[in-house]
Amino acid sequence: MDFIIGLLPFIVNGLSLGLLFALIALGFMLIIGVMELINLAHGSLFALGAYLAMVVISPHVPWLGAFGSWYLGLPIVLRYVLAIVLAPALVAVVGMVLEVCLRPTYGKDPLYGLLLTFGAAMVLEESIRVVWGSAEQMLQVPPVLVGPFLFGGMIYSKYQFFASAFAIFIIVLVWLFLERTPYGAIIKAGAHDSEMVRALGINLTRLRLFVFGFGTALAAIAGIIMSPIWGLRPHVGVDAVIPAFLIITLGGVGSFWGAVVAGVLVGLAVGITAGFASEWSLLSMYLLLIAVVTIRARGLFGKKSILEA
Amino acid sequence: MADIGARIGRWVTVEMLIAFAVLVTAPFWIEAVGLYQYLGVEVLIWMIYALGFNLLLGYTGKPSFGHGAYFGIGAYAFGLAQHHVMTNIWLGIAFAILAAGVAGAMVATFISHRRGIYFALMTIAFGQVFWFTAVKWHAVTGGEDGLQNIPRPDVFSISLKENEALYYFALVFFCIVVIALWRLIHSPFGKVIKAIKQNEMRAGFIGYNVRLFKFLVFTISAGIAGLAGGLFAMAQGSAYPDVMSLQVSGLVVMMTLIGGGFVSFWGPVLGTIIFFVARDILGALTETWLLWYGLMFIVVVLFKPEGLAGIWQDLTRSRRSRKESVEASPLPSLRR
Repeated sequence: MDFIIGLLPFIVNGLSLGLLFALIALGFMLIIGVMELINLAHGSLFALGAYLAMVVISPHVPWLGAFGSWYLGLPIVLRYVLAIVLAPALVAVVGMVLEVCLRPTYGKDPLYGLLLTFGAAMVLEESIRVVWGSAEQMLQVPPVLVGPFLFGGMIYSKYQFFASAFAIFIIVLVWLFLERTPYGAIIKAGAHDSEMVRALGINLTRLRLFVFGFGTALAAIAGIIMSPIWGLRPHVGVDAVIPAFLIITLGGVGSFWGAVVAGVLVGLAVGITAGFASEWSLLSMYLLLIAVVTIRARGLFGKKSILEA
Repeated sequence: MADIGARIGRWVTVEMLIAFAVLVTAPFWIEAVGLYQYLGVEVLIWMIYALGFNLLLGYTGKPSFGHGAYFGIGAYAFGLAQHHVMTNIWLGIAFAILAAGVAGAMVATFISHRRGIYFALMTIAFGQVFWFTAVKWHAVTGGEDGLQNIPRPDVFSISLKENEALYYFALVFFCIVVIALWRLIHSPFGKVIKAIKQNEMRAGFIGYNVRLFKFLVFTISAGIAGLAGGLFAMAQGSAYPDVMSLQVSGLVVMMTLIGGGFVSFWGPVLGTIIFFVARDILGALTETWLLWYGLMFIVVVLFKPEGLAGIWQDLTRSRRSRKESVEASPLPSLRR
């Protein structure tokens, strides 16, 4: 029993990490589902979202003048909420531009799309480095969310709980969107058979543009929530995109709950290993993937998809 | 047809002779064009690496985004052999090839039955496992700093301390790799892997053991990466995990593609030269040269996935055959 209680903080850590991983993976999954494209730039858009949020929260732009100082006088909670809305919207625009660039690769070997997003990831990361420098930055969060609290004799971080709750909120929101709205039905149908969707008279070009924007906006939200935990440096994108693709492969391509379950599973694996060998904790997710995929080729909930062709 | 010329032609081509001639004379003119001797060594090593990689990407149509792992394993194996077994160059090189080949074979057993994107994803996962292990396993790899003070042992009592000497040593391996790969690609084995690239399922239906061929290609490619890694450890005097990271693994993909690995044997060689020249020339002008290199890569993928070699072929071919080359696109869709 003592063993379990001793493990509890790690399980809590793992769960919250897993929920955030699931959040990163969701946008990634939507894009894979509808576009049949592995977006390797997902991590860089995640980082871009966090950087843009940092600018929205505390802009250090001299030419804003009086407006700037008035804006900085606003309560931080307000600026934070504004950042959570504004930064993903901006990132969605960047994502849509990327989608337009991707159009010539449709219908060709999926490898070309993969290579293109790889190049885009590099360009985005370097651009971040040019604008904000390589040094580690801080994303300010409202003081209400900072600090520890005690529960059952254990110390937990407030922000971690906020982040988990927010991740659950977004996951539920995305689920409701996919399951309860006509747009969600179109996206799911597009993931199932995009040619058929086009034949039914739905503008596939616009659908792809929209899904790409939506997916990248989710990446940006994940970036904003995650960066106070992980820190903010240009390189952070790689740390995000790898768990994302890992979770998708583990959960199975095109399965919503697969992504969520796999995300939590990976988070738990990392969190619990951290209890025993903190140095090696991240290795556990790769080993988990290799173990699962060796037994079940399409991951936990995967169906046959075009990506195997 | 069966004369001596044709028999030699099976092993050495005119292009090879030109390439070898250019590379043999390189130390005499490289400083005159404003570059430096060490760059030559580095370019040669990466050429070997990229040529081996292209066997996988260009000829079999299987992308690996974690190939840096085998390059790194080769470098570590070389260093560890020098430090813990004995200071001998042949032993080190043999260790490098063997270790990377064994690692590649191990990974290949897991992934050789995967197709399409899943194959690519699994190569990333395994590449990350090796990279992560290299970073964390301080006792063996020296962690982030890596193995230091890897010597350059003598070859038949010729010192390799000078970069020129090491250059010629690497050049010998480059020639061996070029000739061996050329023979391999123009053998029945090469025909089968090209068939796998065209349509994996159909190659299987014809009766080829696709899994075995993919396994072999991956292992050979990893072994060549290990050779390059061993030479790199000598050139740098150290082995460090950075070369195993996803980004640096991606660089070899970019080099191979920009050069035109899909359509030409020499694509990876061209791509490597472009990369290093871009690094040194753009790098001297601006700190953000990777940004420009990335943009160049995007433009190539979008407008000319056949790369530089593809542009060259378009320019040299007659109008009629140009039309044919458009119809037979370099990487026909693998979707049935």
